Amino acid sequence: MNISASQSALDFAGKGAERIAELFYWMTGGAIVIWIVVIGLAVYAVMSRRAHPVRMTHWLVIGGGAVIPTITLTALLSYGLAMLPELQEPAPKGSTTIEVAGVRWWWRVNYLDPSGGRIVTANEIYLPVDQPVEFKLTSEDVIHSFWIPSLGGKIDMVPGRTNRLKLHPTREGVFHGVCAEFCGEAHAQMRFRVVVTDQNAFDEWLETQSQASKSSSEMAEGEAMFLSRGCSACHTIRGTSADGMVGPDLTHFGSRLSIAAGVLDNTPQNLARWLVDTHGVKPGVEMPAFESLSGEEVDTLVRYLGALQ
Amino acid sequence: MKIKLWWLTFSPLCWAGHFLASYLTTAIYCAKFASPEGDALPVRIAVAVFTIVALSLITFFGVRSLRLHRRGDATLPHDDDTVDDEQRFLGFAALLLAILSGIATLYTALVFVLMETCH
Amino acid sequence: MNESAERLLKAWRTPKGWRYWSAVNNSKIGLWYTITAFGFLLFGGLLALVMRIQLAFPENDFLTADQYNQVFTMHGSVMMFLFAVPILEAISILLLPEMMGARDLPFPRLSAYGFWAFLIGGVFVCGSLFFGAGPRGGWFMYPPMTTQYQTGVGADIWLLGLSFIEIASIAAAVELIVGVLKCRPPGMRLNLIPLYAWYILVVAVMILFAFPPLIAGDLLMELERALDWPFFDASRGGDPMLWQHLFWIFGHPEVYIVFLPSIALVAMIVPTFARTPMVGYGWIVLAAVGTGFLSFGLWVHHMFTTGLPGITIGIFSAASQAVAIPTGIQIFCFIATLLVGRVTRSVCLLFVLAGLATFIIGGLTGVMVAIAPFDYQAHDTYFIVGHLHYVLVGGTIFPIVAGFYYFYPLITGKQLSERLGTIAFWLMMIGFNVSFFPMHITGMIGMPRRVYTYPAGMGFDNLNLISSVGAFVLAGGFVVFLWDLLRPKGGQPTAPRNVWNAGTLEWLAEVPDQPWGVRSIPIVESRYPLWDQENFVRDVDEGNFYLPDAEEGLRETLVTSTVEATPIQCLRVPGPTFLPMWAAAFTGGVFIFGTFHWYIMAGVSGVLAFFTILAWLWTGTAIIPEKTEKNVGLGLTLPTYVSGPAAVGWWAMFITMLGDMTAFMSLVFGYFFYWTVHEDFPPKDVEGPGVLWPLVSVFCALAAWGLMLLSRKLNSRKNGSLFYVSTLTSVLMTFAAAGALIAGPWLHNMDPTEHVYQASVCVLVLWTVIHLALGAVMQLYAVARRAAGKMTHRFNADIVNVTLYWHFMMLTAGITGLTIALFPLVS
Repeated sequence: MNISASQSALDFAGKGAERIAELFYWMTGGAIVIWIVVIGLAVYAVMSRRAHPVRMTHWLVIGGGAVIPTITLTALLSYGLAMLPELQEPAPKGSTTIEVAGVRWWWRVNYLDPSGGRIVTANEIYLPVDQPVEFKLTSEDVIHSFWIPSLGGKIDMVPGRTNRLKLHPTREGVFHGVCAEFCGEAHAQMRFRVVVTDQNAFDEWLETQSQASKSSSEMAEGEAMFLSRGCSACHTIRGTSADGMVGPDLTHFGSRLSIAAGVLDNTPQNLARWLVDTHGVKPGVEMPAFESLSGEEVDTLVRYLGALQ
Repeated sequence: MKIKLWWLTFSPLCWAGHFLASYLTTAIYCAKFASPEGDALPVRIAVAVFTIVALSLITFFGVRSLRLHRRGDATLPHDDDTVDDEQRFLGFAALLLAILSGIATLYTALVFVLMETCH
Repeated sequence: MNESAERLLKAWRTPKGWRYWSAVNNSKIGLWYTITAFGFLLFGGLLALVMRIQLAFPENDFLTADQYNQVFTMHGSVMMFLFAVPILEAISILLLPEMMGARDLPFPRLSAYGFWAFLIGGVFVCGSLFFGAGPRGGWFMYPPMTTQYQTGVGADIWLLGLSFIEIASIAAAVELIVGVLKCRPPGMRLNLIPLYAWYILVVAVMILFAFPPLIAGDLLMELERALDWPFFDASRGGDPMLWQHLFWIFGHPEVYIVFLPSIALVAMIVPTFARTPMVGYGWIVLAAVGTGFLSFGLWVHHMFTTGLPGITIGIFSAASQAVAIPTGIQIFCFIATLLVGRVTRSVCLLFVLAGLATFIIGGLTGVMVAIAPFDYQAHDTYFIVGHLHYVLVGGTIFPIVAGFYYFYPLITGKQLSERLGTIAFWLMMIGFNVSFFPMHITGMIGMPRRVYTYPAGMGFDNLNLISSVGAFVLAGGFVVFLWDLLRPKGGQPTAPRNVWNAGTLEWLAEVPDQPWGVRSIPIVESRYPLWDQENFVRDVDEGNFYLPDAEEGLRETLVTSTVEATPIQCLRVPGPTFLPMWAAAFTGGVFIFGTFHWYIMAGVSGVLAFFTILAWLWTGTAIIPEKTEKNVGLGLTLPTYVSGPAAVGWWAMFITMLGDMTAFMSLVFGYFFYWTVHEDFPPKDVEGPGVLWPLVSVFCALAAWGLMLLSRKLNSRKNGSLFYVSTLTSVLMTFAAAGALIAGPWLHNMDPTEHVYQASVCVLVLWTVIHLALGAVMQLYAVARRAAGKMTHRFNADIVNVTLYWHFMMLTAGITGLTIALFPLVS
């Protein structure tokens, strides 16, 4: 597991998350003060042996119960509402636009090419730092929710609708994203990684992603096995005849940080485990376990997939 | 005229009417008629009108209730077993509800002051 | 015991032996209801412990994902549907009549029916878990996951089992509303009623408007699951968001529905231990009524992250802030009361304080999540889990525990132990906070809700372990509390009467309690008559007030006017019978067999339920009395039979139909909702039901309704022949209305599985036709009653109530016909 990556809304690395964290600290501070005063008063009222005049308590009800809360709430509401327009506003035209579709239990990711094409990947999102990014979020089956805590708030992915979300990363690093809406058996394991880099690295990465995978002679055996074992029925590897659309695109699988939608780090051992013990790693997942593969066959496949840079 | 239990519900119903009208207008306008820029000016004008109507009604009920609460020279807590105290109590509770409904209505209106688009 | 007391006792005696279970009196039904709901609390608590074991360690395999999903779904559903709402109804059925010096609630058999329905439905839903067939869609059951991706019976069990219980809840709500409005003691004007009754009135009205939208939603979802009507299937024009709206229009008021009654208990306990009347009675009424209204303007705050327009989010954020105002006012009224009085300390008060301290945290975090930007982060994380448990445990469970300590002596005659109570208090308080406080942090650092496990090394490990430890400490507190409730108390002296020296009527109860409730129904002149009225207890006990006798051996209680509580009727309430139990069993059968698609069994069960209910109505309602007036004591003579708005039965029909209309309007809302989400609705290439047949149907329904008005008038003639002609013609018109309504979609070949437009037309038609059928049954019932001499030209309650139903029927038929016929022309 990549421990350095953050999933915390308080360890902010985006404009939205930062403003919301600030809001959180202010509200928490206020709440603590209010709680101490009210409970202090209640405990005093129980402990005190003295009977207090009724008149005074009327003012307590009017002032403490009605007037002060109303003023506080009005101020808070105005502040909260004032924050909304900016958070809701779409990213400026020409910003990087990414379509993400929730699929049980992984993420289909398309970067929109300015020329109108789509650059396809899955379960991993690269973002340029200090740039607003517009997400178009959909679902292919049930309701999911797209959430990168360190960057900003979440938005649900609802079948039949396209929701949008603007994020604006301010710090480079690797972050965790998760599905926040209960979506069935493997909801807990519907995760993804977000890599925020500088603009150059991002452009380079995107360029690579748009290419077909490089093939070499050492990969031939693995490719053949990938095709013959039926993997291609569900997975696409551009540059080969594998063009299945049911599962994640694996064209540049070797460059990804994780396996099985953010569940395991992308290491050969983990990949081997995933191929054989699929449902042990991620219960309910649609991919069948390839228990019938021999150890050698597994190694071949693992080497092949790892080479898909 | 003697007021009944229903009296208590009038101001909150004004809030509810205002709330529903504002919500439905927004929802329908933003779903069916808004431009891509999402300017919501027509909705904001409509809500201004709703707010004036609702607050006028709430003020009316509030003032009537205040008079009821103050009639005669009895003060709170209005707990005698008499018609007068029963009416004063209903007036007092309805007055408080009018104030609360007024605040809640203003809260709804505040949204349309601070937010200008359907986004 | 004198002769009159013996007669009274004989009338109210609880049946013995196996017939004990035929009891319908509120003191028995209320007790069974409370025990059952408490049992479900313990079951829900055990499920919580199982979840905490699974989550104690990262990547734990104590439960599988599928098991965990069933367990958390059941935990939420059990706590909300089988504990929180029922316990408030249970306690109210048990105590409300006592607080108002009434002998019973106005419809004891309806309470009994509600209880049996609750028991059967609850056991059915919980039982599914042991067969691995439990629902696994979360207590919110969002489609399309629950409609298209979960094929087992789990979702059906949830939908049908809980709909059944929701209907029972509505029945209890009808009972409680009529109880508060019409069954108060003479003199208890609106400004004098116990605060508990105010709260219950508000809550019952809320149930009436909050549950029907969910029932409508359940209907839509079950139609999609069973018959493939695509209400939530986006590929055929449906929209999963409609379910979310309907669910949360129920779901948010629900929070206040479970919170207000517990606060109502606090409002009874605080003045007793402060030894002074509640400060700010009017303010509390404001808070109760205000919260009741505002709570219906909050539902979208559960949907802030679904991609709605910012303005919509703002509107609901604003209302969510506004609702905090009345909530704060109540808390300050309690504190003010404690300040004014000289406080006697007790375990009750400890739990009240625990409730306040806990609930305020939940309230403050609630204000935080009502601010939409913050909710974008907090929504669906453990922050919300922490928040909602602070609200529900602080706002509901701790006050209910306080209520148990407070009222236990009233029910059993024995006091609970202050020592054990203190131990339980500390265990619960510490355990609860250790368990739930860290969840706020767990959520903020990114742990989503409803996950069966979490990866190690993300910072979640220790916090979750702490939460799990706390959960077991909390459970330890409940074990101590349970032991205190159940331990044998034979050696313990009986508690003195009115052990806490309280001022309200329920403490008139003798020790040990008599089944009659009160010896005589008092005249009330104060909010705290036991404190303020001289010789009050003695006068009640000596039978110096109303109805101290039961000369005819019948169970009787007083009905009073709504505002002033002047006596208007001596109401005969029915005695023990098994009919409600059978009726509940057979209606349960319809739902349970329906779940497994055993439609023949379900049909048989339905027919049996129909006839049982008919028998119950025929033998138990609107009975023509042996004398029209009766001396109820103190020189007052009251009628024994009334009809129209003065009668409790009329109110019950009116209130039930308000709930029914709410469900219907939810379906109509659905129709227009689809219009807002689609570019063209109805779709251009699809044929609608046409204009002719729906309008013919409206016309026929109008005729049927007009004839019912005529029938009501004609019934007052001694000769019934014209009444028969008019009513039977009305039956024919009813059938014609139903036929014409079906003809519209039928003749235009509308296939409800094709697109949501057809489905939403057909569901309106289905709803209306079922109601027309029911209307016809009622018309025929009225004819039969008159023919059998059970209804006469003077005793006309049946026809008056049937006509009342028809007012609503006309509205339903009119709205359906006009909507499906005319809206396609204008849209």
